[in-house]
Amino acid sequence: MRIKFHRRTTSAYIFVSPLVLIIFLFILVPILGTCINSFFQDIPYLPEKFVGMKNYLILIKNPDFWDAIKFTIFFTLASVSLETILGISFALLLNERFPGRGILRTMLLIPWAIPTVISARIWQLIYNYNYGLLNYILQYLKISDKINWLGTPQSAFWALVLADVWKTTPFMALILLTGLQAIPEDIYKQAKVDGARFIKRFFFITLPLLRPALIVALIFRTADSLRIFDLVYVLTGGGPAGATRTISVLGFQYYTSADFGMGATVSFITFLIVFGFSLLYIRLWGVRKL
Amino acid sequence: MKKTACSVWVREIKKIFSTSKGKILVLDNINLEIKSGELFIILGPSGCGKTTLLNIIAGLEEPTEGEIFFGDKVVFSSQKHIFLEPFERDVAMVFQSYALYPHMTVYQNMAFPLKNLKFKREEIKKQVIKIAQMLRIETLLERKPTELSGGQKQRVAIGRALVRTPKVLLMDEPLSNLDAQLRAEMRVELKLLIKDLGITTIYVTHDQIEAMTLGDRIAILKEGVLQQIGDPNELFYHPKNIFVAGFIGTPSMNFLSAEIIKDKLPIKNRDITIGIRPQDIEIRPPNKGIINVSVQLVEKIGDKYVVYVDYKKQKIVIETSNFSGEREISLFWPKEKTHFFNKKGERIESAKINSFHQIRD
Amino acid sequence: MSERRIKSIFIAAGSVFLFLFIITPIFWMILISFSKNITFLTGGVYKFSLSNYITIIISKSLHMMDYLKNSLVVASITSPIVLIISSFSAYAITRINFAGRRIIPLLVLSISIFPQISIVGYLYRWMGNLGWINSYVALVLPYLAWTSPLALWILLSYFSQIPKELDSAALIDGAKRPQILFRIILPLASPAVLSGLLLVFIACFNEFLFALMLTSDYGAQTVSVGISLFQGLHGEIPWGELMAASFFVTFPLILLTFLFQRFIIEGLTTGAIKG
Repeated sequence: MRIKFHRRTTSAYIFVSPLVLIIFLFILVPILGTCINSFFQDIPYLPEKFVGMKNYLILIKNPDFWDAIKFTIFFTLASVSLETILGISFALLLNERFPGRGILRTMLLIPWAIPTVISARIWQLIYNYNYGLLNYILQYLKISDKINWLGTPQSAFWALVLADVWKTTPFMALILLTGLQAIPEDIYKQAKVDGARFIKRFFFITLPLLRPALIVALIFRTADSLRIFDLVYVLTGGGPAGATRTISVLGFQYYTSADFGMGATVSFITFLIVFGFSLLYIRLWGVRKL
Repeated sequence: MKKTACSVWVREIKKIFSTSKGKILVLDNINLEIKSGELFIILGPSGCGKTTLLNIIAGLEEPTEGEIFFGDKVVFSSQKHIFLEPFERDVAMVFQSYALYPHMTVYQNMAFPLKNLKFKREEIKKQVIKIAQMLRIETLLERKPTELSGGQKQRVAIGRALVRTPKVLLMDEPLSNLDAQLRAEMRVELKLLIKDLGITTIYVTHDQIEAMTLGDRIAILKEGVLQQIGDPNELFYHPKNIFVAGFIGTPSMNFLSAEIIKDKLPIKNRDITIGIRPQDIEIRPPNKGIINVSVQLVEKIGDKYVVYVDYKKQKIVIETSNFSGEREISLFWPKEKTHFFNKKGERIESAKINSFHQIRD
Repeated sequence: MSERRIKSIFIAAGSVFLFLFIITPIFWMILISFSKNITFLTGGVYKFSLSNYITIIISKSLHMMDYLKNSLVVASITSPIVLIISSFSAYAITRINFAGRRIIPLLVLSISIFPQISIVGYLYRWMGNLGWINSYVALVLPYLAWTSPLALWILLSYFSQIPKELDSAALIDGAKRPQILFRIILPLASPAVLSGLLLVFIACFNEFLFALMLTSDYGAQTVSVGISLFQGLHGEIPWGELMAASFFVTFPLILLTFLFQRFIIEGLTTGAIKG
């Protein structure tokens, strides 16, 4: 039988082709398409017109755009920092042996398992001015008066951050917990014998050894925060008056107000920002790949 | 269902790996002619390419150049662009790690190749039981690999290989995962079994004791280059180069540098290396032998003594059956037992060297 | 106070905090879903009632059951297909030496960082042109691509731990590559396959933006969309019913999660740690 050896590699290409094809068609092509669309003016009742960088130039002069970018960045900073601190704390907690630890660890999955949209709605209710849980607690504990959480820019910011932290800290905590469990106990024993107290052990042993897991988690979480849409759209709709518009939401609003070209522009810029940040992280921290 | 065994001819096989660091020549012009029914060993240290060679014969890897024949059937040819898949070559292989399918029972493991051959249920059952009985594992047929001991797993692996009565049986260090005692037992069993069945077997190992006890003929491979092919006696008594001489035999051969003073050879260089096996060295009182040495260490193994001596910072090992424990002794060895190697490490026939030669410092 | 005691206090306090942190919104959702009036905090008494649940199940105009059906259909179609496609790829990547064996995992990994907004605009136009808006196809196809990184990473990490010698043995025994995948590799990788199916299933339920833009009515809208659009007849939000709908959906999801938590945690963490 005459068969060329390359049959082996040919079958490899056949094996990966469905996956590559699907990704190509439904992710890569759309991104490319969005990029191309961003160079066109595309509004209702007028034919599409190639306008080059015009959309981008308009956008740069648009304060909404910069507000969105600012908001997205601040949101990301606040959210990711809080998640990380809480995540590490929870991970440290769950790394200890105590009764009920297993149950708590299982419960950790709950926020992750429920759809973001649903959690947004729940928080919407919690933040409700009149009958929300949060205001009730604040009044009951006499901490403060009712706060219009979703009604003012500053409070809406923190409302979003809290809701996001609730949803995503579990994931962070799980990853970090796995990272913690990978650290051999003997190292801690040695450190204790050497007289290092808890804080010292944490900063000099735990944190450095946790670094790889932390970096991976941070890259994903930062990218997630920068591109966030679901939570914001449902919880605040980008309001009040566009004060909590992230760049994804901004893009969406352009699309739905039928300014397709501008929507594409914002969307593509979003892509560039998220992708750019991720590459930056990788450069900075040199993550070694497979 | 008994097939006649067949010969294997490996002709000018070359294998080059392209890596990110450049091209590596893994196998260089390998030529082997293995007789039908022979138990042929490929022996060499790790990394010498022996597993690659075995995989090539099996059809798991493709050589860069060359040809392979099973009997008179071309199984691979780089010029004629022929490459038969492993299954089409009718080979069977036993892996170092046994590679048993963990989720299948022993029976299913052994039945798998026959299923692929489209045997009927009844025939499969008959054949599996027959081979299982031959290997004395018929009571383990319903167990899964995780429930078996190392030795049992190995028999199953052999059983899976034999169940299709292949033309050629390939074995990749099948005994190295067993403990020493089991290994020695299995060696004997394996040899009897293979000889009984008469299948052409190509066996790869790094253990020269295994090679010497099992093989009809042995090919020694070093860094992809064949050093010598021959039966155990040839390799032991007439090693072609220093590598082979040092690789075969335990404890290994001693090497000393020497200089030719008077000779019949028209060689320009006088520098040679002489080799003497530890068993061939005689211990004599000081000044009664060729060189005087001081004893460093003595080991008693069974009823043999292994004596480690120092000669001008070179170490020499002697194996003898009696030793009275002196610290200063002299060593003697007969010329017939001396091996001579030139500067390149190649063997020089001792007949060509005059009896006068002197150990150099 | 010794370090031990401080530690115990922290653990106790931390556990309580963690518990409350996680449970409070959930508890609130459940509480409201079973109440007749949500104003009980500011006056009035809590009245327990099942009416919210009955409404969302029965009321045709709310379409909750339609949304649920759509989500189930889409998730059930997507999961097995994505797992099969990813198995083939993972098999080739871990077992066969071909160009692209390093690139493809990286490509797929980078996909998981892409913003959905950058994709959905064009998809909308495209699906619109094909007349597929508001059909299951419009969701399943993008979902296949979108969830593939998840499936691929889990399978890759598991497959790479299965010794390649098994493949060699099977090849010699006469099995063809697809046979090897299905009869040897996949059975051995069944925990990973299970994790993958679960994670993809849950991800499909969770997905929002694609569903929002590529569907237009209850014919294909998923639970996420339905819940986000939930409004009462007079424009104000019927919180009781909304929470009932939410809990109705989340309860099985939470149950699934609890039952298969080991698989899920393994799937999530191997996916991340590997990177």
